[in-house]
Amino acid sequence: MAKIANASGGAEATGSRGHHAPPVLKVADAPRELERAPLVLNNRSLGWITDAVAGVCENPMPKWWWPAFILSAGTMGMMFSLLAYLVSTGTGVWGLNTSANWAWDITNFVFWIGIGHAGTLISAVLFLLRQKWRTSINRAAEAMTIFAVACAGIFPVFHTGRVWFALYPGYLIPMPNSNWIWPQFRSPLLWDVFAVSTYGTVSLLFWYVGLIPDLATLRDRAKTKLRKLGYGVFSLGWSNSNRHWSNYEKAYLILAGLSTPLVLSVHSIVSFDFAVSQVPGWHATIFPPYFVAGAIFSGFGMVLTLLIPMRSLFNLHDLITVRHVELMCKVLLATGSIVGYAYGMEFFIAWYGGSPYELWAFLRNRVADPFIFGPLFKVPTAPYWWAYWMMISCNVISPHLFWSRKLRTNVVFVWIVSIFVNIGMWFERFVIIVTSLHRDYLPSSWGYFTPSWVDVFTFVGSFGLFMTLFLLFIRFLPVIAISEVKGVTPQADPHHPLGGAKEHH
Amino acid sequence: MLALSGMAMMLALVLAPATVAAAETHEAAPAAHAEPAAAAHGAAADAHHAHGNGVPDAHSLLTQFGYSYLTAYMFCLSLCAASLYLVFLHHLFDAGWSVPTRRISEHIASLMFPWMLILVIPILLLATRMYPWLTIDPATDHALDVKKGMFNKPMFFTLVPLLITTWGFIARSFRKNSLAQDKDGAAVWTRKNRVLAAWGIFYFSLTLTLVVFYLMKSLQHQFFSTMYGVYYFAGSMWLTFITTYVLAQYFSRPGQVLAQVVGKRQIHDLGVLFFAFTVFYAYIHFSQYFLIWNAAMPEETFWYVLREKGSWFWVGHLILFGHFFLPFVALLNQSIKSNLVVMIPVAAWAWLMHYVDMTFNIMPVLYPEGLHLSFWDLVCWPGLVAVLGYLFLKDFRSHPAYPLKDPRLKEAITHHEIPAPGQAAAHH
Repeated sequence: MAKIANASGGAEATGSRGHHAPPVLKVADAPRELERAPLVLNNRSLGWITDAVAGVCENPMPKWWWPAFILSAGTMGMMFSLLAYLVSTGTGVWGLNTSANWAWDITNFVFWIGIGHAGTLISAVLFLLRQKWRTSINRAAEAMTIFAVACAGIFPVFHTGRVWFALYPGYLIPMPNSNWIWPQFRSPLLWDVFAVSTYGTVSLLFWYVGLIPDLATLRDRAKTKLRKLGYGVFSLGWSNSNRHWSNYEKAYLILAGLSTPLVLSVHSIVSFDFAVSQVPGWHATIFPPYFVAGAIFSGFGMVLTLLIPMRSLFNLHDLITVRHVELMCKVLLATGSIVGYAYGMEFFIAWYGGSPYELWAFLRNRVADPFIFGPLFKVPTAPYWWAYWMMISCNVISPHLFWSRKLRTNVVFVWIVSIFVNIGMWFERFVIIVTSLHRDYLPSSWGYFTPSWVDVFTFVGSFGLFMTLFLLFIRFLPVIAISEVKGVTPQADPHHPLGGAKEHH
Repeated sequence: MLALSGMAMMLALVLAPATVAAAETHEAAPAAHAEPAAAAHGAAADAHHAHGNGVPDAHSLLTQFGYSYLTAYMFCLSLCAASLYLVFLHHLFDAGWSVPTRRISEHIASLMFPWMLILVIPILLLATRMYPWLTIDPATDHALDVKKGMFNKPMFFTLVPLLITTWGFIARSFRKNSLAQDKDGAAVWTRKNRVLAAWGIFYFSLTLTLVVFYLMKSLQHQFFSTMYGVYYFAGSMWLTFITTYVLAQYFSRPGQVLAQVVGKRQIHDLGVLFFAFTVFYAYIHFSQYFLIWNAAMPEETFWYVLREKGSWFWVGHLILFGHFFLPFVALLNQSIKSNLVVMIPVAAWAWLMHYVDMTFNIMPVLYPEGLHLSFWDLVCWPGLVAVLGYLFLKDFRSHPAYPLKDPRLKEAITHHEIPAPGQAAAHH
């Protein structure tokens, strides 16, 4: 590798063509307009970073926290009440009918599992790809992952109404019933159990391992015995020694390596719930990568929905910068485009393959709106055309607004689009599940699924659980990975042109 | 000169049979092909389920040449297409690390025009011998009838060369802008390439899918899989990463043209991405196979059933173990990725495996009884690679070997993001 001469001011770069390369390579600085914004703004010192992040959970919570917590906990309580009502009454309290025997329950499951993807993707995949910008957002995203997986887990357990059957004799647990009949191991529903539980466990471990150095920081700064004890127990005697860091880095790398295939596998297996079948609209070979891309898309949507308000409420603008927001918008744009390709390919192959059932499912159940596609293809309006086009608008059209730098650096606008992404991804699962099921091969059993109030409020209640856990996370744990953010500042790197162990205040 | 003569001979060797075929094909095609096509589809009323190889005049040397040539062409298209993807992704991600090796990708992608366009001519000339659907009456074949708007001669013979030409223009525009930046270092060239990448990746992804459908998937036009475009993309990226790796290693040896700018980081990252795509390809191919197997619908399974007969069964296993397990296990260790003693054989193996993969897709149509290696295989694959390899080296040696004034070059070499001068002043 060449030595770099200081060529600031646009000095000539000497090309190293031929076999007699010059010993010193002069490379010009980037034009000012293409320079990258720093990951930590205003040259904040290492001490400032610790104070800013640890202060969030050390200082009294702001006034809005308690009303938000009470509202969230109340909504969560409503969900558990409705689940109790479901268990005591049966799935008749939902809007299910003969053909649409899966609806909001599995939609909600896939929606929450999808949201649970961004955390581990940011932590593991972006770590392996050495994307330093992940450090400001990975902690909150990982927390979000675990809380989303907790929300997701509720729906498969409760979706038959008879929750005890989920456990013993279990349709979710591989255990034979009293007739010694085992669950169907060839069913992807059972694979889901292994995939989601493995993912949840590894994500939790990954999150916890990453927390240890920061928990030790909170322990060392604790002013009460209770806090010292609590953080002390969970920081496992961390002393910042070289040996501890060495072991920590190895463990983190191994967990990142283990988590990466899990990120792909979980939603691939969720996609198998549908794609292994022969149901028109479900059986498409592109489902696994399409679901994974969609999950990352929805996960990043939720990360933006949570972190944009958080950075303002806790004054973390120097750590979660506009550059971070912009980069996440680009991830939304990329994954939204992949999802758009998959939507297009599904419809194209429904036509290309020549299966009338497949084309029916797409055209007459989903796409044919009363204004353009219905009249164009001369088919009646699809019952759920509004859901399909809601999905397309939110997932395919809205991310393309981020081609504009002006729009993706406007955090209020980004926040609004992130809400659209959340809505669109819920509708995607609704479209896949309900529009494929509600009209099967027997026209006499066709029906239109309409959710009951229990459906709606159970789903709303799952947000209560999610937000309750997230607010508790803000209250007790560092919302940004303190040690990791420090690691990407110039002063943490003695080899950096601006580096060295210098303190700046 | 020697290389130029060699290239001309290779080109002549691969183009000559096609030229002969052209006259023969155009006269004989309608009458000669009607019967085999009908025979292949049997007398069944529903031709949709009557799958067979259906290749007209399968024993003709020209047909055999056509198939071998197509396999070699799809192999080379993989390299050019995935190199163009690397350029797209470099600009879209505003990547820094890949600046020193970007010129390699730019040159390989630029082979698309005129060379890949010229090289597709034999396929077009022999198309009626190779693609059964071109000689079948759509009225007798449901699978063809439903997509006759796309599967017809004017569309096929217009779109394939047209799309390859447009890709070539995109690739050449990238290189032109990149070379212009070598002179003045202006940001405008980076911006132009970003805009080109922004719309180009959509256009290219959709049209590449279309061309792969036309050239490879339509050999059995009854088959459909939403994953097929992604499948070709995954294998192509895999091949291109290891090719770029080898070229970067070669040209970064002491005294070579990239020695000053390509470091361990670039080499390691290329190795890591090759490893990642080893897994990604396996994931994509497994997903396609598994979902088709599990649903067990005859209109899909016939494609794999054909590839499980005779020695194709073992070719399938070779892909399973050779395309995935072997490189996966070999590259698990971090330090291996920069160990040339391991990586060079792995690269050679990867080239072979991608060729086997293309063969697995194409050849069972012509040889349903099992793998069949012909003289044409030995001519076409090395021939096309030699021609394109020569053209690449010619381009590579006649231009600066890396983007001399790319705004991210310093970052790529120093591994640090360099902050704005204003910020630097604030630090010191």
